[in-house]
Amino acid sequence: MLSSGHLLNYLLLLLRGLTITLELSLGSLVLGSLGGVVLGAMRSSSWRVFKGIALAYIETVRSIPFVILLFFVFFAVPLAFDIDIPPYPAAIAALSVHCSAYMAEVVRSGIESIPKGQWEAAASLGLPYHRIMRHVVLPQALRVMIPPTIGVYVSTIKESSLASIIGFVELLGQGMAIREANSLRNTADVLVAVALGYFVICFSLSQLGRYLEHRTMPQSRQVRQRGGAFRSGSLRAAIAANFRSPASLLTASRRRVGLR
Amino acid sequence: VGLSDLNLRVLIPHLPMLGWGALNTIEISALAIALSFPLGLFGALMRIGDNRLLRALATGYVETIRNIPLLVVLYILFLVLPLYGIPISAFAAGVLGLAINSTAFTIEIFRGGFTGVPAAQYEAAQSLGLRPALVMGLVVVPQVFRIVLPSLGNQIVSVVLGSAQASIIGVAELTYRTQSIGSSTFRYFELFTIAALFYIACAQAISLVWRLLTGRAAHAPLGT
Repeated sequence: MLSSGHLLNYLLLLLRGLTITLELSLGSLVLGSLGGVVLGAMRSSSWRVFKGIALAYIETVRSIPFVILLFFVFFAVPLAFDIDIPPYPAAIAALSVHCSAYMAEVVRSGIESIPKGQWEAAASLGLPYHRIMRHVVLPQALRVMIPPTIGVYVSTIKESSLASIIGFVELLGQGMAIREANSLRNTADVLVAVALGYFVICFSLSQLGRYLEHRTMPQSRQVRQRGGAFRSGSLRAAIAANFRSPASLLTASRRRVGLR
Repeated sequence: VGLSDLNLRVLIPHLPMLGWGALNTIEISALAIALSFPLGLFGALMRIGDNRLLRALATGYVETIRNIPLLVVLYILFLVLPLYGIPISAFAAGVLGLAINSTAFTIEIFRGGFTGVPAAQYEAAQSLGLRPALVMGLVVVPQVFRIVLPSLGNQIVSVVLGSAQASIIGVAELTYRTQSIGSSTFRYFELFTIAALFYIACAQAISLVWRLLTGRAAHAPLGT
C-alpha cells in the first residue's frame, strides 16, 4: 500500500488526469459532432450518392475496433506519409473520427424524428433545403438529440482510456504512471481509484441523460418502459385496476342497450 | 517507408501468423459470448424479479460495469488479481474481462426484452394456472428471445471489436500479432489495413449471418 504522505499527491495527479480525460473527450465530441451533423444530414438526404458515402463511412468506422483506428493514426499514417504525429493530436483525431460515426446516427435519428409535415410546411413557404434544415428541422431535432449525445459522450470518455497506450497521460495513463513509479509496492488501489474516477463521471452523466430522456419522452412510452407487469405485485395491481364487479358490468351493459 | 512503395509481398511470410491471430480473436470472442449470454439472461431475471437483494445486486453490477472502460477492467483482472494470490493468464484475463463487460450489456438487452412482452401474456399464462417458473419458461422467455435477437447480434459484433483491447494485456490475437509484426517490418500501413479489413469483414459477416439465421424468428408477429 502507498504511504499516506504520497497519497494526497497521487490523488491530485489522478484528478488532473481526470480533467485531461474530460477535456480530450469533450474536444473530440465537439469535433465529432461537426462531422456527425454533416454525415447525418447526408445520410438522411434523398441523394443516393451522399447517402451511400455517409453509410459507407459510418459502417466502416463502426466496424473497426477503436484500438486499430488509434494505431492507424499513430503508427501507420506517420510512416506512410512521412509526418510526425504526437500522441495528443493522434488521440484527438482518432477519437473524433470514431465519435463522428456515432454522432451521425444520433443526428440522423434526430432528423428523422421530425414529422414530415414540418418539411412540407417549410418547403411550401419557399425555403431552400439548407434553410429548412437550419431554421426548421435542426432546432427541433436538437432537443431529441441531447440524451443520445450524452450517451456518445460517456462512451467517448470510456474509449479515451485507450489513448494511454500511445503515451497520452490522461486518467488511466496517470494511474499507470503512478503504478510504475511504485513498482516495488503493492499499488492495487491506484487502478481501483482510476476505475472509481471513470465510474463517478460516467455514472453521473448517464443519470443526467436518463433524466433528460424521461423529460422529453411522451408520457405513454414512459409508462411502457417502467411497465413492471412481470412483478407479481404490480400485476396484481393491474388486475385490480381493471377488475369490475358484476354489478357494474350489468349497469354498463344495460346502459349500452339504452336502459338506465 | 512511404505510401509510394506499398509492398504486400514483404508480408507474405507473416500471413500465417496473422491467420493464427485472427483465429485467436474469434476464439476469445466466442468464449466471452458463450459465458455472457446465459449470464445475461440470468442477470435479467434477477433484475426484474421480486427479490430486492438480487435486484439490487444485478442493478449495481450493470451500472458499475457499464460505466468503467473495458481496458480498466482488463488491467484490474490482469495486474491486480495476482497481487492477491490469484494467478491468471493473459488469455483467461482477456476472456473474463470481455465476458464481465458483455454480461452487463446483455442483462440490459434481456431486460428490455422482458419489458417488451405485453403484460397480457403474463396474465394469460397465470390465469391458465401455470406455475411462475412455467410462465417464464414456456410463455415469456420464448417471446423475449424474439425481441432481443437483433440486439444480441449487435452485442456479438461489439464483443469481437472489444476483443482487440485484449492485445494490450498481451493476448496473442489479431491486433497483437499486427503490432508485433509491424514492429519488426515497419509495414504498419499495410498491416493495420489488413487488420481493419478483417474486422470489417467479420462485423459485416456476423450481422449478415445473424440476420439470415434469426430473420424469421425476429420478424414473426408477437402474441398480443
